Amino acid sequence: MPNDVEERDRAPASAETRRFRVFRFKRGDERPHTDDFDVPVGPRTTVFEALRWIQLHRDRTLALRHSCLHASCGTCGLRVNGREVLACVTGVRDLGREISVEPIANIPVLTDLVVDMREFYARFPDEHPILRHSEFLEDASPHGATEEHVRLEDCIECGLCLSACPVVVTSERYVGPAALAFAQRVVEEPRGAETVNLLTWADDPDGAWRCHAIFECTAACPSNVDPAARIMALRGTLLGRRLRAERTERA
Amino acid sequence: MTPVGTETSERKPLATQTRVWRWTAFTGVALLVLVTIHMIAHHFVVESIGGLRTYRQILDYIANPVMFTIECTFLVVVTIHGMLGLRSVLFDLNFGARARARINRGLVALGALTVAYGLALIGTLASRA
Amino acid sequence: MNDSAAGAPGREARQERGPVQRKGFGLAPTGWVDPRGRTLGAWAFAGNRITGLGLVFYLYLHLGVLTTLLWGAHAWGRFLGVATTFVFLGLDVVLLFGLLYHGLNGVRVLLVGTGLVPHRERALWWAGAVIGTIVLLGGALHILGSRS
Repeated sequence: MPNDVEERDRAPASAETRRFRVFRFKRGDERPHTDDFDVPVGPRTTVFEALRWIQLHRDRTLALRHSCLHASCGTCGLRVNGREVLACVTGVRDLGREISVEPIANIPVLTDLVVDMREFYARFPDEHPILRHSEFLEDASPHGATEEHVRLEDCIECGLCLSACPVVVTSERYVGPAALAFAQRVVEEPRGAETVNLLTWADDPDGAWRCHAIFECTAACPSNVDPAARIMALRGTLLGRRLRAERTERA
Repeated sequence: MTPVGTETSERKPLATQTRVWRWTAFTGVALLVLVTIHMIAHHFVVESIGGLRTYRQILDYIANPVMFTIECTFLVVVTIHGMLGLRSVLFDLNFGARARARINRGLVALGALTVAYGLALIGTLASRA
Repeated sequence: MNDSAAGAPGREARQERGPVQRKGFGLAPTGWVDPRGRTLGAWAFAGNRITGLGLVFYLYLHLGVLTTLLWGAHAWGRFLGVATTFVFLGLDVVLLFGLLYHGLNGVRVLLVGTGLVPHRERALWWAGAVIGTIVLLGGALHILGSRS
Protein backbone atom coordinates (compact mmCIF):
# COMPACT_ATOMS: atom_id res chain seq x y z
CA MET A 1 0.00 0.00 0.00
CA PRO A 2 1.47 3.33 -1.08
CA ASN A 3 1.04 5.06 2.27
CA ASP A 4 2.83 2.29 4.15
CA VAL A 5 5.69 2.38 1.62
CA GLU A 6 6.12 6.12 2.04
CA GLU A 7 5.95 5.76 5.79
CA ARG A 8 8.68 3.16 5.77
CA ASP A 9 10.82 5.14 3.37
CA ARG A 10 10.73 8.23 5.49
CA ALA A 11 13.56 8.01 7.97
CA PRO A 12 12.82 8.15 11.71
CA ALA A 13 13.52 11.57 13.17
CA SER A 14 16.28 10.36 15.48
CA ALA A 15 18.05 8.38 12.77
CA GLU A 16 21.78 8.76 12.23
CA THR A 17 23.36 9.33 8.85
CA ARG A 18 25.92 7.20 7.06
CA ARG A 19 27.81 8.09 3.93
CA PHE A 20 27.41 5.62 1.12
CA ARG A 21 30.06 5.72 -1.59
CA VAL A 22 28.36 4.04 -4.50
CA PHE A 23 30.00 2.77 -7.68
CA ARG A 24 28.45 4.34 -10.76
CA PHE A 25 28.82 3.45 -14.39
CA LYS A 26 26.49 4.04 -17.31
CA ARG A 27 26.87 2.91 -20.89
CA GLY A 28 28.99 5.39 -22.74
CA ASP A 29 30.93 6.52 -19.68
CA GLU A 30 34.64 6.52 -20.21
CA ARG A 31 35.30 5.19 -16.75
CA PRO A 32 33.33 4.41 -13.59
CA HIS A 33 33.09 6.94 -10.79
CA THR A 34 31.82 7.07 -7.21
CA ASP A 35 28.83 9.04 -5.96
CA ASP A 36 28.47 9.91 -2.28
CA PHE A 37 25.10 9.88 -0.57
CA ASP A 38 24.31 10.70 3.04
CA VAL A 39 21.60 8.24 3.99
CA PRO A 40 19.57 8.29 7.21
CA VAL A 41 19.67 4.82 8.75
CA GLY A 42 18.10 3.13 11.71
CA PRO A 43 19.34 0.28 13.86
CA ARG A 44 17.87 -2.37 11.55
CA THR A 45 18.41 -0.75 8.16
CA THR A 46 19.90 -3.08 5.56
CA VAL A 47 22.21 -2.08 2.73
CA PHE A 48 19.41 -2.78 0.28
CA GLU A 49 17.05 -0.47 2.12
CA ALA A 50 19.67 2.28 2.13
CA LEU A 51 20.24 1.86 -1.62
CA ARG A 52 16.51 1.88 -2.22
CA TRP A 53 16.26 5.10 -0.24
CA ILE A 54 18.94 6.60 -2.48
CA GLN A 55 16.95 5.51 -5.52
CA LEU A 56 13.72 7.01 -4.23
CA HIS A 57 15.00 10.21 -2.67
CA ARG A 58 18.29 11.12 -4.27
CA ASP A 59 18.99 9.51 -7.60
CA ARG A 60 16.38 7.67 -9.62
CA THR A 61 19.02 6.54 -12.11
CA LEU A 62 20.81 4.27 -9.62
CA ALA A 63 20.48 0.75 -11.01
CA LEU A 64 20.46 -2.23 -8.71
CA ARG A 65 18.95 -5.70 -8.68
CA HIS A 66 16.77 -7.20 -6.01
CA SER A 67 14.02 -9.74 -5.76
CA CYS A 68 13.09 -11.83 -2.75
CA LEU A 69 14.66 -9.63 -0.06
CA HIS A 70 15.31 -12.61 2.20
CA ALA A 71 18.56 -14.18 0.93
CA SER A 72 16.79 -16.81 -1.10
CA CYS A 73 17.19 -15.71 -4.72
CA GLY A 74 20.79 -14.49 -4.84
CA THR A 75 19.90 -11.45 -6.98
CA CYS A 76 21.22 -8.65 -4.78
CA GLY A 77 24.86 -9.75 -4.51
CA LEU A 78 27.20 -6.77 -4.00
CA ARG A 79 30.54 -5.88 -2.51
CA VAL A 80 30.11 -3.77 0.60
CA ASN A 81 33.34 -2.38 2.06
CA GLY A 82 35.13 -4.83 -0.22
CA ARG A 83 33.37 -7.96 1.04
CA GLU A 84 30.89 -10.01 -0.94
CA VAL A 85 27.44 -9.95 0.66
CA LEU A 86 23.74 -10.13 -0.12
CA ALA A 87 22.51 -6.56 0.27
CA CYS A 88 19.08 -7.53 1.54
CA VAL A 89 20.35 -9.16 4.72
CA THR A 90 23.41 -7.05 5.45
CA GLY A 91 22.80 -4.63 8.29
CA VAL A 92 24.27 -1.16 8.03
CA ARG A 93 24.75 -0.70 11.76
CA ASP A 94 28.19 -2.33 12.07
CA LEU A 95 29.64 -1.18 8.78
CA GLY A 96 31.31 2.08 9.79
CA ARG A 97 30.77 5.75 9.02
CA GLU A 98 31.62 5.44 5.33
CA ILE A 99 30.29 2.48 3.43
CA SER A 100 31.49 1.63 -0.05
CA VAL A 101 29.11 -0.24 -2.34
CA GLU A 102 30.38 -1.84 -5.53
CA PRO A 103 29.14 -4.49 -7.91
CA ILE A 104 30.57 -7.98 -7.59
CA ALA A 105 34.01 -8.47 -9.13
CA ASN A 106 35.28 -10.51 -12.07
CA ILE A 107 32.07 -10.13 -14.08
CA PRO A 108 31.53 -7.27 -16.56
CA VAL A 109 29.41 -4.45 -15.23
CA LEU A 110 26.30 -3.59 -17.24
CA THR A 111 25.36 -0.48 -15.31
CA ASP A 112 25.99 0.80 -11.79
CA LEU A 113 25.60 -2.17 -9.45
CA VAL A 114 24.21 -4.55 -12.08
CA VAL A 115 26.55 -7.13 -13.65
CA ASP A 116 26.15 -9.40 -16.66
CA MET A 117 25.28 -12.71 -15.08
CA ARG A 118 25.58 -14.49 -18.42
CA GLU A 119 29.30 -14.65 -17.64
CA PHE A 120 28.42 -16.56 -14.51
CA TYR A 121 26.14 -19.05 -16.22
CA ALA A 122 28.51 -19.53 -19.15
CA ARG A 123 30.92 -21.34 -16.82
CA PHE A 124 28.49 -24.13 -16.00
CA PRO A 125 28.78 -27.36 -18.02
CA ASP A 126 26.85 -27.22 -21.26
CA GLU A 127 24.44 -29.96 -20.40
CA HIS A 128 23.52 -30.62 -16.83
CA PRO A 129 20.36 -31.81 -15.21
CA ILE A 130 18.32 -28.85 -14.06
CA LEU A 131 15.17 -30.67 -13.23
CA ARG A 132 15.74 -33.35 -10.64
CA HIS A 133 13.55 -35.51 -8.55
CA SER A 134 12.58 -33.63 -5.45
CA GLU A 135 12.19 -36.67 -3.21
CA PHE A 136 14.86 -39.12 -2.11
CA LEU A 137 14.82 -42.31 -4.10
CA GLU A 138 14.16 -45.38 -1.99
CA ASP A 139 17.63 -46.80 -2.45
CA ALA A 140 19.41 -43.44 -2.06
CA SER A 141 21.70 -43.01 0.90
CA PRO A 142 22.18 -39.35 1.78
CA HIS A 143 25.56 -38.49 3.21
CA GLY A 144 25.72 -37.70 6.88
CA ALA A 145 22.79 -36.62 8.97
CA THR A 146 19.63 -35.32 7.37
CA GLU A 147 20.29 -31.86 8.79
CA GLU A 148 22.85 -31.38 6.04
CA HIS A 149 20.15 -31.31 3.41
CA VAL A 150 17.90 -28.57 4.68
CA ARG A 151 17.36 -27.36 1.13
CA LEU A 152 17.28 -29.40 -2.03
CA GLU A 153 20.16 -27.45 -3.51
CA ASP A 154 21.95 -24.80 -1.54
CA CYS A 155 23.41 -22.78 -4.36
CA ILE A 156 21.34 -19.69 -5.14
CA GLU A 157 23.64 -18.73 -8.02
CA CYS A 158 24.40 -15.32 -6.59
CA GLY A 159 27.91 -15.16 -8.02
CA LEU A 160 29.53 -14.02 -4.77
CA CYS A 161 31.98 -16.95 -4.95
CA LEU A 162 33.06 -15.95 -8.44
CA SER A 163 33.63 -12.43 -7.19
CA ALA A 164 35.70 -13.55 -4.20
CA CYS A 165 37.89 -16.05 -6.04
CA PRO A 166 41.40 -14.72 -6.83
CA VAL A 167 41.89 -17.39 -9.48
CA VAL A 168 38.92 -16.31 -11.62
CA VAL A 169 40.81 -13.12 -12.38
CA THR A 170 43.89 -15.02 -13.50
CA SER A 171 42.23 -17.40 -15.88
CA GLU A 172 39.56 -16.50 -18.40
CA ARG A 173 38.86 -20.19 -18.78
CA TYR A 174 38.56 -21.24 -15.14
CA VAL A 175 35.03 -22.46 -14.61
CA GLY A 176 34.89 -21.17 -11.08
CA PRO A 177 33.63 -22.38 -7.71
CA ALA A 178 29.89 -22.37 -8.41
CA ALA A 179 30.08 -24.64 -11.46
CA LEU A 180 32.47 -27.05 -9.75
CA ALA A 181 30.46 -27.14 -6.55
CA PHE A 182 27.39 -27.85 -8.64
CA ALA A 183 29.17 -30.74 -10.39
CA GLN A 184 30.27 -32.16 -7.07
CA ARG A 185 26.72 -32.01 -5.73
CA VAL A 186 25.49 -34.03 -8.68
CA VAL A 187 28.33 -36.53 -8.23
CA GLU A 188 27.61 -36.75 -4.51
CA GLU A 189 23.91 -37.31 -5.01
CA PRO A 190 23.20 -38.27 -8.63
CA ARG A 191 19.52 -39.26 -8.31
CA GLY A 192 19.75 -40.95 -11.66
CA ALA A 193 21.86 -38.28 -13.38
CA GLU A 194 24.88 -39.24 -15.50
CA THR A 195 28.05 -38.41 -13.52
CA VAL A 196 30.84 -39.74 -15.74
CA ASN A 197 30.52 -36.87 -18.20
CA LEU A 198 30.53 -34.32 -15.40
CA LEU A 199 33.66 -35.86 -13.89
CA THR A 200 35.38 -35.72 -17.25
CA TRP A 201 34.31 -32.11 -17.58
CA ALA A 202 35.77 -31.28 -14.17
CA ASP A 203 38.99 -33.23 -14.78
CA ASP A 204 40.50 -30.40 -16.74
CA PRO A 205 43.30 -27.88 -16.25
CA ASP A 206 40.70 -25.14 -16.12
CA GLY A 207 38.36 -27.22 -14.01
CA ALA A 208 39.03 -28.66 -10.59
CA TRP A 209 42.82 -28.43 -11.02
CA ARG A 210 42.89 -24.67 -11.47
CA CYS A 211 41.75 -24.01 -7.93
CA HIS A 212 44.48 -22.90 -5.52
CA ALA A 213 42.59 -23.95 -2.39
CA ILE A 214 42.34 -20.38 -1.18
CA PHE A 215 38.83 -20.88 0.25
CA GLU A 216 37.64 -17.32 -0.38
CA CYS A 217 34.60 -18.73 -2.13
CA THR A 218 33.50 -20.69 0.92
CA ALA A 219 33.91 -17.60 3.08
CA ALA A 220 31.81 -15.51 0.69
CA CYS A 221 29.02 -18.01 0.10
CA PRO A 222 25.81 -16.86 1.83
CA SER A 223 24.16 -20.23 1.40
CA ASN A 224 26.39 -22.91 2.99
CA VAL A 225 27.45 -24.44 -0.30
CA ASP A 226 31.10 -24.61 0.85
CA PRO A 227 32.33 -24.65 -2.75
CA ALA A 228 36.02 -24.94 -1.84
CA ALA A 229 35.54 -28.11 0.16
CA ARG A 230 33.41 -29.48 -2.65
CA ILE A 231 36.14 -28.75 -5.19
CA MET A 232 38.60 -30.58 -2.96
CA ALA A 233 36.21 -33.50 -2.63
CA LEU A 234 35.82 -33.49 -6.40
CA ARG A 235 39.60 -33.69 -6.74
CA GLY A 236 39.62 -36.63 -4.39
CA THR A 237 37.02 -38.34 -6.54
CA LEU A 238 38.98 -37.59 -9.71
CA LEU A 239 42.24 -38.88 -8.22
CA GLY A 240 40.53 -42.04 -7.04
CA ARG A 241 39.06 -42.52 -10.49
CA ARG A 242 42.50 -42.19 -12.09
CA LEU A 243 44.21 -44.47 -9.61
CA ARG A 244 41.57 -47.13 -10.14
CA ALA A 245 41.83 -46.84 -13.91
CA GLU A 246 45.61 -47.05 -13.79
CA ARG A 247 45.44 -50.07 -11.55
CA THR A 248 43.09 -51.87 -13.94
CA GLU A 249 45.31 -50.93 -16.86
CA ARG A 250 48.32 -52.41 -15.17
CA ALA A 251 46.43 -55.53 -14.13
CA MET B 1 36.61 -27.00 -21.40
CA THR B 2 35.22 -30.21 -22.84
CA PRO B 3 31.45 -29.87 -23.14
CA VAL B 4 29.59 -32.42 -21.09
CA GLY B 5 28.24 -35.22 -23.22
CA THR B 6 31.15 -35.50 -25.66
CA GLU B 7 33.23 -37.87 -23.56
CA THR B 8 32.48 -41.49 -22.81
CA SER B 9 33.82 -43.36 -19.82
CA GLU B 10 37.23 -43.61 -21.53
CA ARG B 11 39.86 -41.71 -19.66
CA LYS B 12 41.45 -38.71 -21.39
CA PRO B 13 45.24 -38.68 -21.48
CA LEU B 14 46.43 -36.85 -18.39
CA ALA B 15 46.42 -33.13 -19.17
CA THR B 16 49.54 -31.08 -18.58
CA GLN B 17 48.09 -29.06 -15.76
CA THR B 18 47.03 -32.20 -13.92
CA ARG B 19 50.48 -33.74 -14.41
CA VAL B 20 52.07 -30.56 -13.13
CA TRP B 21 49.85 -30.55 -10.06
CA ARG B 22 50.67 -34.18 -9.34
CA TRP B 23 54.41 -33.70 -9.78
CA THR B 24 54.39 -30.62 -7.55
CA ALA B 25 52.72 -32.74 -4.90
CA PHE B 26 55.08 -35.73 -5.32
CA THR B 27 58.23 -33.62 -5.23
CA GLY B 28 56.84 -31.66 -2.30
CA VAL B 29 56.35 -34.79 -0.24
CA ALA B 30 59.82 -36.03 -1.17
CA LEU B 31 61.26 -32.67 -0.16
CA LEU B 32 59.78 -32.95 3.32
CA VAL B 33 62.24 -35.78 3.88
CA LEU B 34 65.14 -34.47 1.79
CA VAL B 35 65.09 -30.94 3.21
CA THR B 36 64.98 -32.28 6.75
CA ILE B 37 68.00 -34.49 6.13
CA HIS B 38 69.86 -31.65 4.42
CA MET B 39 69.15 -29.13 7.18
CA ILE B 40 70.11 -31.54 9.93
CA ALA B 41 73.28 -32.61 8.16
CA HIS B 42 74.48 -29.05 7.61
CA HIS B 43 73.33 -27.26 10.75
CA PHE B 44 72.95 -29.78 13.52
CA VAL B 45 75.66 -32.45 13.19
CA VAL B 46 79.06 -30.79 13.29
CA GLU B 47 80.09 -29.13 16.54
CA SER B 48 80.69 -25.58 15.34
CA ILE B 49 78.97 -22.23 15.12
CA GLY B 50 75.70 -22.78 13.28
CA GLY B 51 76.71 -26.38 12.73
CA LEU B 52 78.54 -25.29 9.55
CA ARG B 53 81.22 -27.55 8.12
CA THR B 54 84.77 -26.61 7.20
CA TYR B 55 86.12 -27.28 3.73
CA ARG B 56 87.63 -30.58 4.79
CA GLN B 57 84.48 -31.65 6.58
CA ILE B 58 82.41 -30.91 3.47
CA LEU B 59 84.67 -33.00 1.27
CA ASP B 60 84.53 -35.90 3.71
CA TYR B 61 80.76 -35.56 3.86
CA ILE B 62 80.19 -35.54 0.11
CA ALA B 63 82.60 -38.41 -0.48
CA ASN B 64 80.25 -40.69 1.41
CA PRO B 65 78.28 -42.46 -1.36
CA VAL B 66 75.02 -42.36 0.60
CA MET B 67 75.20 -38.62 1.27
CA PHE B 68 76.37 -38.02 -2.28
CA THR B 69 73.27 -39.76 -3.63
CA ILE B 70 70.97 -37.98 -1.23
CA GLU B 71 72.36 -34.55 -2.07
CA CYS B 72 72.14 -35.20 -5.83
CA THR B 73 68.56 -36.39 -5.43
CA PHE B 74 67.79 -33.36 -3.30
CA LEU B 75 69.16 -31.06 -5.99
CA VAL B 76 67.07 -32.64 -8.74
CA VAL B 77 63.86 -32.79 -6.69
CA VAL B 78 64.13 -29.24 -5.34
CA THR B 79 64.82 -27.88 -8.83
CA ILE B 80 61.79 -29.65 -10.26
CA HIS B 81 59.59 -28.40 -7.43
CA GLY B 82 60.95 -24.88 -7.76
CA MET B 83 60.46 -24.74 -11.52
CA LEU B 84 56.91 -26.06 -11.21
CA GLY B 85 56.18 -23.46 -8.57
CA LEU B 86 57.57 -20.70 -10.78
CA ARG B 87 55.45 -22.01 -13.61
CA SER B 88 52.36 -21.81 -11.41
CA VAL B 89 53.07 -18.20 -10.48
CA LEU B 90 53.90 -17.19 -14.05
CA PHE B 91 50.91 -18.96 -15.57
CA ASP B 92 48.62 -16.96 -13.33
CA LEU B 93 49.64 -13.89 -15.31
CA ASN B 94 47.22 -14.86 -18.06
CA PHE B 95 49.61 -15.14 -20.98
CA GLY B 96 48.60 -16.45 -24.39
CA ALA B 97 49.33 -19.96 -25.60
CA ARG B 98 52.60 -19.05 -27.36
CA ALA B 99 53.99 -17.26 -24.32
CA ARG B 100 53.00 -20.20 -22.12
CA ALA B 101 54.84 -22.61 -24.41
CA ARG B 102 57.89 -20.38 -24.23
CA ILE B 103 57.69 -20.26 -20.45
CA ASN B 104 57.50 -24.05 -20.35
CA ARG B 105 60.57 -24.37 -22.53
CA GLY B 106 62.41 -21.68 -20.60
CA LEU B 107 61.75 -23.31 -17.24
CA VAL B 108 62.83 -26.72 -18.51
CA ALA B 109 66.04 -25.14 -19.76
CA LEU B 110 66.61 -23.24 -16.52
CA GLY B 111 65.97 -26.36 -14.50
CA ALA B 112 68.32 -28.43 -16.63
CA LEU B 113 71.07 -25.82 -16.30
CA THR B 114 70.57 -25.62 -12.54
CA VAL B 115 70.78 -29.37 -12.11
CA ALA B 116 73.77 -29.60 -14.44
CA TYR B 117 75.66 -26.93 -12.55
CA GLY B 118 74.79 -28.38 -9.17
CA LEU B 119 75.79 -31.89 -10.18
CA ALA B 120 79.06 -30.61 -11.60
CA LEU B 121 79.73 -28.82 -8.32
CA ILE B 122 78.91 -31.86 -6.20
CA GLY B 123 80.92 -34.12 -8.48
CA THR B 124 83.97 -31.88 -8.41
CA LEU B 125 83.93 -31.69 -4.63
CA ALA B 126 83.48 -35.43 -4.27
CA SER B 127 86.43 -36.05 -6.55
CA ARG B 128 88.67 -33.91 -4.35
CA ALA B 129 88.04 -35.91 -1.20
CA MET C 1 41.44 -1.21 -6.17
CA ASN C 2 38.79 -0.29 -8.67
CA ASP C 3 40.89 -0.19 -11.81
CA SER C 4 39.29 -1.72 -14.84
CA ALA C 5 41.00 -4.87 -16.05
CA ALA C 6 43.84 -4.17 -18.48
CA GLY C 7 43.47 -5.31 -22.09
CA ALA C 8 44.80 -8.83 -21.59
CA PRO C 9 44.25 -11.33 -24.40
CA GLY C 10 40.64 -12.34 -24.85
CA ARG C 11 39.26 -9.52 -22.81
CA GLU C 12 38.17 -7.27 -25.65
CA ALA C 13 34.82 -8.94 -26.11
CA ARG C 14 34.12 -8.67 -22.42
CA GLN C 15 35.29 -5.07 -22.22
CA GLU C 16 32.64 -4.07 -24.73
CA ARG C 17 30.07 -5.17 -22.18
CA GLY C 18 31.42 -2.94 -19.47
CA PRO C 19 34.33 -2.71 -17.01
CA VAL C 20 35.24 -5.67 -14.85
CA GLN C 21 35.81 -4.88 -11.20
CA ARG C 22 38.66 -6.59 -9.47
CA LYS C 23 39.98 -6.94 -5.95
CA GLY C 24 43.57 -6.24 -5.00
CA PHE C 25 46.19 -3.89 -6.42
CA GLY C 26 48.47 -4.10 -9.41
CA LEU C 27 47.97 -5.91 -12.71
CA ALA C 28 44.79 -7.91 -12.69
CA PRO C 29 46.32 -11.39 -12.41
CA THR C 30 48.46 -10.53 -9.40
CA GLY C 31 45.49 -9.95 -7.17
CA TRP C 32 46.69 -12.74 -4.89
CA VAL C 33 49.60 -10.55 -3.76
CA ASP C 34 47.20 -8.30 -1.88
CA PRO C 35 45.23 -10.43 0.58
CA ARG C 36 43.89 -7.45 2.52
CA GLY C 37 40.22 -7.88 3.33
CA ARG C 38 40.41 -11.54 2.45
CA THR C 39 40.18 -14.62 4.65
CA LEU C 40 42.83 -16.88 6.20
CA GLY C 41 43.05 -19.09 3.13
CA ALA C 42 44.03 -16.15 0.94
CA TRP C 43 46.74 -15.03 3.39
CA ALA C 44 48.03 -18.59 3.63
CA PHE C 45 48.19 -18.81 -0.16
CA ALA C 46 49.99 -15.49 -0.48
CA GLY C 47 52.45 -16.63 2.20
CA ASN C 48 53.01 -19.90 0.37
CA ARG C 49 53.82 -18.11 -2.86
CA ILE C 50 56.04 -15.49 -1.25
CA THR C 51 58.05 -18.12 0.67
CA GLY C 52 58.20 -20.25 -2.47
CA LEU C 53 59.62 -17.41 -4.55
CA GLY C 54 62.01 -16.59 -1.73
CA LEU C 55 63.20 -20.17 -1.60
CA VAL C 56 63.76 -20.27 -5.37
CA PHE C 57 65.84 -17.13 -5.01
CA TYR C 58 67.70 -18.77 -2.14
CA LEU C 59 68.41 -21.87 -4.27
CA TYR C 60 70.45 -19.78 -6.69
CA LEU C 61 72.03 -17.73 -3.92
CA HIS C 62 73.05 -21.00 -2.27
CA LEU C 63 74.53 -22.46 -5.45
CA GLY C 64 76.44 -19.23 -5.89
CA VAL C 65 77.80 -19.36 -2.37
CA LEU C 66 78.77 -23.01 -2.68
CA THR C 67 80.82 -22.14 -5.75
CA THR C 68 83.31 -20.69 -3.27
CA LEU C 69 84.20 -24.25 -2.39
CA LEU C 70 85.82 -24.68 -5.79
CA TRP C 71 88.50 -22.22 -4.72
CA GLY C 72 89.68 -24.31 -1.81
CA ALA C 73 89.79 -24.31 1.95
CA HIS C 74 91.06 -20.77 2.29
CA ALA C 75 88.25 -19.22 0.28
CA TRP C 76 85.65 -21.28 2.09
CA GLY C 77 87.19 -20.36 5.42
CA ARG C 78 86.76 -16.68 4.53
CA PHE C 79 83.13 -17.30 3.73
CA LEU C 80 82.65 -19.16 7.01
CA GLY C 81 83.94 -16.09 8.78
CA VAL C 82 81.00 -14.16 7.35
CA ALA C 83 78.54 -17.03 7.70
CA THR C 84 79.11 -17.37 11.43
CA THR C 85 78.31 -13.76 12.22
CA PHE C 86 75.14 -13.01 14.14
CA VAL C 87 73.49 -11.29 11.19
CA PHE C 88 74.13 -14.17 8.85
CA LEU C 89 72.93 -16.76 11.34
CA GLY C 90 69.86 -14.59 11.84
CA LEU C 91 69.21 -14.81 8.11
CA ASP C 92 69.53 -18.57 8.46
CA VAL C 93 66.66 -18.41 10.94
CA VAL C 94 64.62 -16.45 8.37
CA LEU C 95 65.40 -19.18 5.87
CA LEU C 96 64.26 -21.76 8.41
CA PHE C 97 61.00 -19.86 8.79
CA GLY C 98 60.49 -19.85 5.02
CA LEU C 99 61.15 -23.57 4.80
CA LEU C 100 58.87 -24.38 7.71
CA TYR C 101 56.06 -22.18 6.42
CA HIS C 102 56.23 -23.50 2.88
CA GLY C 103 56.60 -27.10 3.99
CA LEU C 104 53.87 -27.15 6.60
CA ASN C 105 51.43 -25.17 4.45
CA GLY C 106 52.35 -27.51 1.60
CA VAL C 107 51.31 -30.48 3.69
CA ARG C 108 48.06 -28.66 4.43
CA VAL C 109 47.47 -27.97 0.73
CA LEU C 110 48.18 -31.60 -0.04
CA LEU C 111 45.76 -32.93 2.56
CA VAL C 112 43.03 -30.48 1.66
CA GLY C 113 43.66 -30.38 -2.08
CA THR C 114 43.40 -34.10 -2.62
CA GLY C 115 40.05 -34.16 -0.93
CA LEU C 116 41.33 -36.10 2.09
CA VAL C 117 40.35 -33.51 4.68
CA PRO C 118 38.59 -30.78 2.70
CA HIS C 119 36.77 -29.26 5.66
CA ARG C 120 39.76 -28.84 7.93
CA GLU C 121 41.77 -26.22 6.09
CA ARG C 122 41.68 -23.69 8.94
CA ALA C 123 42.43 -26.22 11.66
CA LEU C 124 45.34 -27.53 9.63
CA TRP C 125 46.72 -24.04 9.21
CA TRP C 126 46.69 -23.41 12.95
CA ALA C 127 48.16 -26.86 13.69
CA GLY C 128 50.93 -26.09 11.23
CA ALA C 129 51.44 -22.69 12.84
CA VAL C 130 51.87 -24.26 16.28
CA ILE C 131 54.24 -26.97 15.06
CA GLY C 132 56.15 -24.50 12.94
CA THR C 133 56.55 -22.01 15.77
CA ILE C 134 57.87 -24.66 18.12
CA VAL C 135 60.36 -25.99 15.59
CA LEU C 136 61.38 -22.48 14.57
CA LEU C 137 62.06 -21.44 18.14
CA GLY C 138 64.02 -24.62 18.80
CA GLY C 139 65.98 -24.21 15.60
CA ALA C 140 66.63 -20.54 16.19
CA LEU C 141 67.92 -21.19 19.70
CA HIS C 142 70.20 -23.90 18.38
CA ILE C 143 71.55 -21.92 15.45
CA LEU C 144 72.04 -18.62 17.28
CA GLY C 145 72.99 -20.26 20.54
CA SER C 146 75.84 -22.19 19.03
CA ARG C 147 77.89 -19.01 18.92
CA SER C 148 80.45 -19.07 21.70
